[in-house]
Amino acid sequence: MSALNNPVIAVIVSLIISVAYFTFVDHYLMDMQGLDYWYLFRQ
Amino acid sequence: MGLLTGKRVFSIMALCMMVGLLLLPIVVALPSPAIGEEAPAAGEEAKKEGDKVEKGRDVYYKTEGIVVGAPAPKTTDGPRDYPRYNFESRVLIWFANQQHLYYGSFVLAVPIFCMIIEFMGVVTKDKALAKRYDQLAYDFIKISLTAYSLTAILGGILIFTFLTLYPAFFSYLSGIFRPVMHIYALMFVAESGTLYIYYYGWDKMKEGFLKWIHLSMSVVLNVIGTLLMFLANSWIGFMMSPAGVDEQGRYLGNIWHVIHTALWNPLNLHRILGNMAFGGGVVAAYAAYKFLASKTDEDRAHYDWMGYIAMALGVAFLIPLPFAGYWLMREVYAYRQQMGITLMGGLLAWLFIIQATMIGILFLSTNYYLWQAMGRMRGAEKYQRYIKYLVFLLACGYMVFITPHTMVMTPAELKAMGGQQHPVLGNYGVMSAKNGGINVIITTTVLSFVWYMRGNKVSTVSWAKFGNIFMGVFFTCAYINIIWLAVYGYYIPANVRVGLSVPQVATTLSCLFFMFALNSVMMRGAKQMGPIEWGKISARSQYALIMLATAFTWMMGLMGYIRSSVRLFWHVNEIMRDNSPWAYTHTVGFAANMISANVLFFWISILFVFWLGSLTAKKVPVESKAGIPGSVPQPAASH
Repeated sequence: MSALNNPVIAVIVSLIISVAYFTFVDHYLMDMQGLDYWYLFRQ
Repeated sequence: MGLLTGKRVFSIMALCMMVGLLLLPIVVALPSPAIGEEAPAAGEEAKKEGDKVEKGRDVYYKTEGIVVGAPAPKTTDGPRDYPRYNFESRVLIWFANQQHLYYGSFVLAVPIFCMIIEFMGVVTKDKALAKRYDQLAYDFIKISLTAYSLTAILGGILIFTFLTLYPAFFSYLSGIFRPVMHIYALMFVAESGTLYIYYYGWDKMKEGFLKWIHLSMSVVLNVIGTLLMFLANSWIGFMMSPAGVDEQGRYLGNIWHVIHTALWNPLNLHRILGNMAFGGGVVAAYAAYKFLASKTDEDRAHYDWMGYIAMALGVAFLIPLPFAGYWLMREVYAYRQQMGITLMGGLLAWLFIIQATMIGILFLSTNYYLWQAMGRMRGAEKYQRYIKYLVFLLACGYMVFITPHTMVMTPAELKAMGGQQHPVLGNYGVMSAKNGGINVIITTTVLSFVWYMRGNKVSTVSWAKFGNIFMGVFFTCAYINIIWLAVYGYYIPANVRVGLSVPQVATTLSCLFFMFALNSVMMRGAKQMGPIEWGKISARSQYALIMLATAFTWMMGLMGYIRSSVRLFWHVNEIMRDNSPWAYTHTVGFAANMISANVLFFWISILFVFWLGSLTAKKVPVESKAGIPGSVPQPAASH
């Protein structure tokens, strides 16, 4: 826990969790509607 | 001991009576919801006579049923179908309807607040706080009691207005809903009985087991109130998206189909959230008014606290309201695309710009109040310097949210701009950008709440530093994701773009639920920098509460008008045509004036209600004036 209180490590860990979470939310919720979140990137 | 047992028995009997009252209408109507009152008789008769069976096809459910009702009347403009005074009948019915709805919403919402606050008082371990909650809940129900009588009177006026000015339409509608009309009336009786027992039994059932019985009564009261509202919603649901009748409007014997129309559930959800937000706003405005009129610090402390609780409850229901509205609109589009286009992109589209403006004002007022409220807690100064960034975010979100897609212009202006759409700003007037705008506003409101909740506290958990950084990063990523999805929407086809609103909403809700939960965990056992000094808040904050309530009232009037106008020249959409001389859509200006008049009348009349309430309050001996200056006074021992 003390390592996590290091600001640099805390920012990196938080970024990884947040970016992964929001990417998952975007992908999964579009997929649930039968839509492709990555539409533009597949063109 | 004997007295206590007697009270217990009496309380349990009263509760059982309430449950009985709740169930009575349902029991009475049991044969009706299943197959309709006349269906069996008609069906048997038809079987006997063989070839006389007339069947119809449900316009919505597409099921076949035996015709048991008369067709929708084909009205003509004249005194028989549309008797009138020397005045526009639609304006009169609009006024009666709106006032009844305002009061109905208020008396539905306040008992729900009461239930929540009374429950908080029962479960809290701090006895002083428990008493304060109890007093607050009592104050709330006291306000709603006078308003309740007025609601009933306005309901009567509404029915008489319908009978006098729109007899053909009212006769048809009451004929369709005949199997449940008496349920509505009985529910109203049950609601009244329960409310009076609940209110007058407050002192008798204030401790221990009896308090739980009293709390259970509030649950029964609110179940009845909510069912009443659902029934009333089924009428407007039927008028917008009829079901259970054939194309001539003949009732097919299944009352559940008539009630459970395409828009019933979205309307139920939207209305219950809207009513709660409205009720919170009105009580907050009442508290603000009392705060501003207070002569002592103790009174100011009490009403400051009351205003905060009412505002917090109201905003708790305001935050999911736009999402419920989104669901309603989605269902409107699914039911009739043309209806959705009339609402959002056609005749009524400009009213939605006004609605967006009002929603923005609601959130801006809420945020402003929270920032002001931070002033009454020591330690919250650390957030003050960041507020300007929140103002920037809110202003940007607001400006995008209210940008119209097209402008109303003179030919010369049209020529000068090179089209109906502004070359730069026009790009923001689309749903993709607007969804981004409103989600930024709501997320910022969540952030303001989080700051307020931790204003005078310092977390003592070992991972506090990580927690704070995580919250900051999570909010930043949420903003980036919302804006990214809004921008992304411009580069993909419409059929894919429409789905992006779901992850946008999920992002906002993630902030709401995860960050509130994380903040609560972090603030458990936190070090307090100082107490919240209730009453030590600027007068400006109280005007923000009044603004909040007025904006709620105005927006309710506006949305009611939009929802009703979307039927255009139909009493019952595609079933019964409105042939009165007023079957046209008013100008935006006229509608706005009418809504303002309704709002003004409501606020003048509710001030009268508050004044009446204060007359009874003055008779109560004041036992709570010996509190510490600046703290919340102890409630009176009895009411």
